[in-house]
This record gives sequence, structure tokens and C-alpha cells, in this order.
Amino acid sequence: MTIRTRLTLWYAGIMFVSLLIMGVLVYHEFAPEPHADGGQKVSEDEGDLREVLRIIFWCGVPAGLLALGGGWWIMRKALAPVATLTQTAARINESNLSQRISRTQNGDEFDRLTEVFNSMLARLDESFARIREFTLHASHELKTPLTVLRGETETALRDENISATERERANSQLEELRRLTQIVDGLTLLAKADAGQVALNLESVHLAELVRDSFADLQILAEPQQIKVELAACEEISVRGDRHRLRQLLLNLADNAVKYNQPKGQVTMSLRRADGLAEIKITNTGAGIPPEILPRVFDRFFRGDSAHGNEIEGCGLGLSIAQWIVSAHSGKIQIASVSSQSTIVTVHLPTA
Amino acid sequence: MRVLVVEDEKKTAAFVRKALQAESFAVDVVHNGDDALAAALATPFDGIVLDIMLPGRDGISVLKQLRARKNSTPVLLLSARGEVNERVEGLNAGADDYLPKPFELSELVARVRALTRRGGENKSTTLRVADLMLDTLTHKAQRGSASIELTAREYRLLEFLMRSAGRLCGRMMILEKVWDYNFDPGTNLVDVYVRRLREKIDASFEPKLLHTVRGSGYVLKDSA
Repeated sequence: MTIRTRLTLWYAGIMFVSLLIMGVLVYHEFAPEPHADGGQKVSEDEGDLREVLRIIFWCGVPAGLLALGGGWWIMRKALAPVATLTQTAARINESNLSQRISRTQNGDEFDRLTEVFNSMLARLDESFARIREFTLHASHELKTPLTVLRGETETALRDENISATERERANSQLEELRRLTQIVDGLTLLAKADAGQVALNLESVHLAELVRDSFADLQILAEPQQIKVELAACEEISVRGDRHRLRQLLLNLADNAVKYNQPKGQVTMSLRRADGLAEIKITNTGAGIPPEILPRVFDRFFRGDSAHGNEIEGCGLGLSIAQWIVSAHSGKIQIASVSSQSTIVTVHLPTA
Repeated sequence: MRVLVVEDEKKTAAFVRKALQAESFAVDVVHNGDDALAAALATPFDGIVLDIMLPGRDGISVLKQLRARKNSTPVLLLSARGEVNERVEGLNAGADDYLPKPFELSELVARVRALTRRGGENKSTTLRVADLMLDTLTHKAQRGSASIELTAREYRLLEFLMRSAGRLCGRMMILEKVWDYNFDPGTNLVDVYVRRLREKIDASFEPKLLHTVRGSGYVLKDSA
């Protein structure tokens, strides 16, 4: 039961009871003093009583109904700001923390509540911004020392006089430095995307062409592990989007489908029109993803169980970047898994 | 070949200088934008490696000033900002190439080489390295008397490698020119493609032409 209904009922009930009390008091005030000896008077009194009850009833019920209706209306008016507050608060998430709830400025309780709520939002917004800024600065600051480290390691490798052991060590360091670079690059991209600093270069993109292109890459990537690939459908669909980002998305998903597969497994790719949207589906055989970690696979640096997560290299940001690309195109990405059998990644994009 | 390196980070400037000198470039180094502009206008360089973030006048401004004064020295921009649109902005301002930090040293050297040779690129329609031939009009490849079937992507890869024959081609550079990717996809796509290409052009032939430079990239050359 909502507060409004509860208050309305209470209000109407109190009105009704007070009417009754008033009726009783009025009756006592006007009723003639009973005579000790007369029997006739009693029936007269009873008639009066019935009359009063009748009046109370005929006045009381409409008054009660009026109280109910009026009460409901007053409560609605009084509680309307709460409804607005609830709606706005429900709409706010980390991506639109800059939104504020409009105030009535009349200084009442709700206006003050709104004010407090707004200032809480402002503080939240600020701390989110500070985290974003921190990530952005951190990834920038890491770039210079990384450049130096990579450059110097490579310079060492160019020296022909170093021993085989030293060369081995430098090579392994270079490999890790490359990985670190990938992580820093991914982090920079996501931090910028969070701060709304990445502009997409939007144009009409022939999605089918990109899908065929990345399918060709997929074939090549799958070959060493003898994974079978299939392009189940490729309808001619265009979308409005950033060509480079969409290619990055497709390659990323194709690469994942190969990496998290089993030898001699299979990858199926398709592009279809579904409910007016472009639907890209990439299915791969493999260990699948346990349902309890499915909701977290798009989280940054999230790794599945260590059993098959460790030997697969990557920066741990691939799916987060994929998710960002899709949502930047006003699309949706979903991942579903039949445990220990297959995983299906579905991307929906609005068509051009 | 004389190259100007503009980089305020001393260590980075030092190893870039060293690497370019090892490739027998004469290298001048300056550490800020105003010195860079003065040096570039005073001396005819064959190429400039220009960092965007510099104390005082920034790299883009140096570049714009140079181009405004009709100086057309090829410029390779370096940047740690990694702004997505920076590449476009840089190229629009008149840069010839763009490399985000942290870069691979061999990638930088390969690009400087490509930059300073820009005018002299092999433009002919038949490319030849040893007995490997590629017709850029018909897209037909041939090794000795055996003709080789190539997919579209393999053709583009081979064409790029042959046009830069004898020069080291970094992975990023290959991704950029052959795939038109301006991001690091974090896959071993290039390596897998090169392996396939090698099977076609090298496996049953001698001498081997396509060489791997570990950790750096690939080079197509007649090793004999």
C-alpha cells in the first residue's frame, strides 16, 4: 500500500469518526431531558434518535466520501515531488551523474530534500570524475617510462655483442613490455570513453563488408588450431558507425572465439536482420562460461576461472572495449553460454 | 641522410638518436619547440621526428609554422596523448606519418626510413626480389617459373613487403598499410598471415626471402 493510499484512508477515517462524535454531541445537546414518568416520551425520543441517526448518516457518508476524494487529491499534490524524485533518481546511473532534479524553490520539506539529494549527486559526480581523471592521468604518466623501457630494451637487443642469456632475457622483457603497452593503451581508451572524450567518426558503414573482412581474418586465426569456421549468414546491412571501431569490435570478438576454443572446435559467425536491428552472432565451441561469472565478463580486467584463463594472453580489457564500442553505437551486446559446450556472443546495432 | 629529432624526454631522445645513427643517419637532437622550428628552418633535413607534447611551442604548432613557410620536410609525429583524432589532426596539419607512444624502436626506424625515401618509392608495376615477381596490375605472383595463388589480403601484404624490400617492416606498420587498422588489435594476425605467405613464396624455394626479425617485424630481402 502506498503512503498516499494509507494517508488518504486515515484522513477519511478521522473525518468520519469526528463527524460521528459531532453527531453524538449534537444529539445530546438538543435532545429533551427524559421524563421519569412518561412512557410516551420514550417513543418520541426514539423517533428523535432515529432522525438524528438518519441525518448523521446522510451527511456523514457524503462527507466521508468527500474526505476520501479530497484527501486523495491533497495527498497526490503533496507527494508529487516524491514521485518526481523517485523517477529522476531511478534514471540516474554512473553515466549521467551530471543530471539534477529540478527544484520547486518554495523552501518546503521536499524542496530541501531535493536540494540535499542534488548535492549528494554532485559529490558522487565529482568523485566519479576524479576516478576517471586519475585513470586517465595514470595511463598517460605510464606512457613515458614505458617508451623509455621499450626503447632501451630494444637498443640492448640491437647490440650484437650481448650473450645468448642476455638476449633471451631482453626478449622476454620486451614481450612483457608489449603486453603492458596494450594494457595501458586499453586503459587510456576506456578512461577517455568514460570521460566522453572519444569522438566517433560516424558514417554510413556497409556492415556486411566488415563482417566478411573479419571472417577472412577469423579463418586465418583459426587455422593453426584446426578450428572450423563458418559464415552462416551475411545479409547486406548498413549501419551508421565508426568503421575503425566496428572493425576493432569484430576482430576482437573473432579473436576471442578462437582463443577460448578447443582444438578442432568450431566458430560460426552470422549477420542478420532481426526486429529492425542488425544482429551479429558469433558462436564458438569451448569450455563455455559458468553462469555465475557471465554477468562479470565485461568487467575490466575480469578473468574467468584460472583453469583456462592463465595461459591465454591478452590485456583483460578486450570485452570491456567491445562493450564500449557497441554502446557508443547505441547497440547492445550479450553473452550467453551453454556450460562446457559453447558460448554465443550477440551484438545488436541499429541499422542506418 | 640527416634527421632532426625533437623530443623533450632526454632518455627517449637518446635511444632514438642511437638507433637512427646505427642505421647511418646523421642525427640532430633538440628538446623544445622553438629550437625545433629554428633548426628546421636553418638546415635542410631529410626528415623530422617530432614529439607533439613539448615545452613551449608544441609539435603541431611547429609543424604548422613549417608548412606555412613552405618547408616540406617529411615529418613523423610522435605522441603520448594517444588521442583518437590526433592522427587525423596531425596529418591535416601536414604531417607525413604518426606514431603513438610507446612505440617499438624498430617501428620508428622503419618509418623514418620510409619517410626519407618517400620520393624514391618503387613505383613500377612489376616488383621483383630475387626470382620472386609480383605484377601489381594483374595481381599475379610468380617465383621462378611457378605461379603463386594469393588471396586479396595476401596480395596486399606481399605488395607492401616487396615495395619496402630490404627494409624492416614493423607489425603496426603492416597492420596500418595492409589492414588499414590504426589500433593494435592485440592478436597475432600479422604473424599468422606472414606464416601463410611464407608457405606460398618460400617453403619450396631457395633462397628464403621473407625473414623474421624477432620482436620487431619482418623483412623481405634477397639474403644472397
